[in-house]
Amino acid sequence: MPEFTSAEYTAILLSLKVSIVATLLSLPFGFSAAYVMTYRKFRGKFVLDLIVNLPLTLPPVVIGYILLVVLGQNGVIGKQILQPLGIKLIFTWKAAVIATAVVGFPLLVRSIRIGMETIDQGLVQASRTLGAGWFDTVMTVILPLSLRGVIAGSALMFARGLGEFGATIIVAGNIPGVTQTIPLAIYEYASSPDGDRMALALCVVSVVISVVVLLFHEYLSRRMIRVD
Amino acid sequence: MKQAVVMSLAALTVILCCSSPLFAGEINLAVAASLKEVLNELSDNYAKTHPGVGFRKNYGGSGALAKQIENGAPADIFISANTEWLDYLKARKQADEKSIATFTYNVLVFAGKPGLKATGVQDVVKLDRIAIGSPKSVPAGEYAMEAFKKAGISKQLEKKLVMAKDVRECLMYADRGEVDGAFVYKTDAQQAARNAKILFVVPQEYYPRVTYPMALTVNGAKNAEAAAFYNVLKSVEAQAVLKKHGFIVK
Repeated sequence: MPEFTSAEYTAILLSLKVSIVATLLSLPFGFSAAYVMTYRKFRGKFVLDLIVNLPLTLPPVVIGYILLVVLGQNGVIGKQILQPLGIKLIFTWKAAVIATAVVGFPLLVRSIRIGMETIDQGLVQASRTLGAGWFDTVMTVILPLSLRGVIAGSALMFARGLGEFGATIIVAGNIPGVTQTIPLAIYEYASSPDGDRMALALCVVSVVISVVVLLFHEYLSRRMIRVD
Repeated sequence: MKQAVVMSLAALTVILCCSSPLFAGEINLAVAASLKEVLNELSDNYAKTHPGVGFRKNYGGSGALAKQIENGAPADIFISANTEWLDYLKARKQADEKSIATFTYNVLVFAGKPGLKATGVQDVVKLDRIAIGSPKSVPAGEYAMEAFKKAGISKQLEKKLVMAKDVRECLMYADRGEVDGAFVYKTDAQQAARNAKILFVVPQEYYPRVTYPMALTVNGAKNAEAAAFYNVLKSVEAQAVLKKHGFIVK
């Protein structure tokens, strides 16, 4: 195995960091979206469903490009809101987080929804008749009972985030030590004639992390079943 | 109904498999991204006077192209933006040694936001984000890194460098204003930039001269059409096109 330089170690740590932050940031939104779509009836629900799930089928490059056009120096949000506030997103690790969050969001919402749909409606109604407000019901009945879906969704989203490439390379660029995640480093090595050893070594790291996440996912689901 | 579906799927498969007919006069080019306009013009002219000849053009970072060729990508003619990647193919017996010649020369510049106070290599450290081609596979990035090393500013620039997959992507970053500036060739900045302006020309003592060697590949040497077009690349006509696009021919 070739010697990793600090750039490779940073890439590995950065991949983990971006994926964890994106998942944690998305959790409250993902839970709310899943709740609204499972329990509320309203006009335009179909549209919300469509928007939430769109990143699942859109090419990540399209997502990256849309984000760049919107958040970039000349974009609507970029120019009107971010620039006056002195916030620079494009080509920073925060842009990588946003790209990862958008791409992984549908996976999170889907898992949480599946978790919520398996909750016995009787329990939800019982809590309401016993005087709990909707917020109390969410926190004490729906959240604990859908926890399995929440964790499964988070693990899936985290794993998807580790592999994010298309949207990230467009909005976060490829800056070694700053925004270069594992897939971006592999991409750079893969197009370099001398880079095969390094590219393969980073692939091994990717496989190891993915296997660990999947085992963790499996372990959690089993433990959940036993608790049930 | 079921039969109809099966039939149409079968028909679709057949169509998809046959949709790329290989005609006799096919010339595959693998050319450094900075030469895009030049090779487009030369190949268009050639195709006009030689009906039946078709071009497949692959523009990109020279290192990436060399690796593709090494791994079996179809290529008859390879033009690199430095000698390193042509030598790489030569060492692997993928380039036809007799055919190796120099196509043209170029100059490295720093292009960025108009009005930016950067007039020399030393000023670059004051900027926030700078795009270069990935030095692992893009010669323009290697030349830029050479210049940083000579100027003694490699360390200060370490976390400011956005790596682009080829020199045109590098220029695009500067053009969009997402980076302060980019190290590209003079010809890129002149032909393809819309907003970015050349802020300074990197003095020649900082980096080796940008040289574009070309060669027929081992497969290309067996392709009569490719060999004929290769002679056009060495002709006066090609030199005129290169000059028109701002390249240096001597």
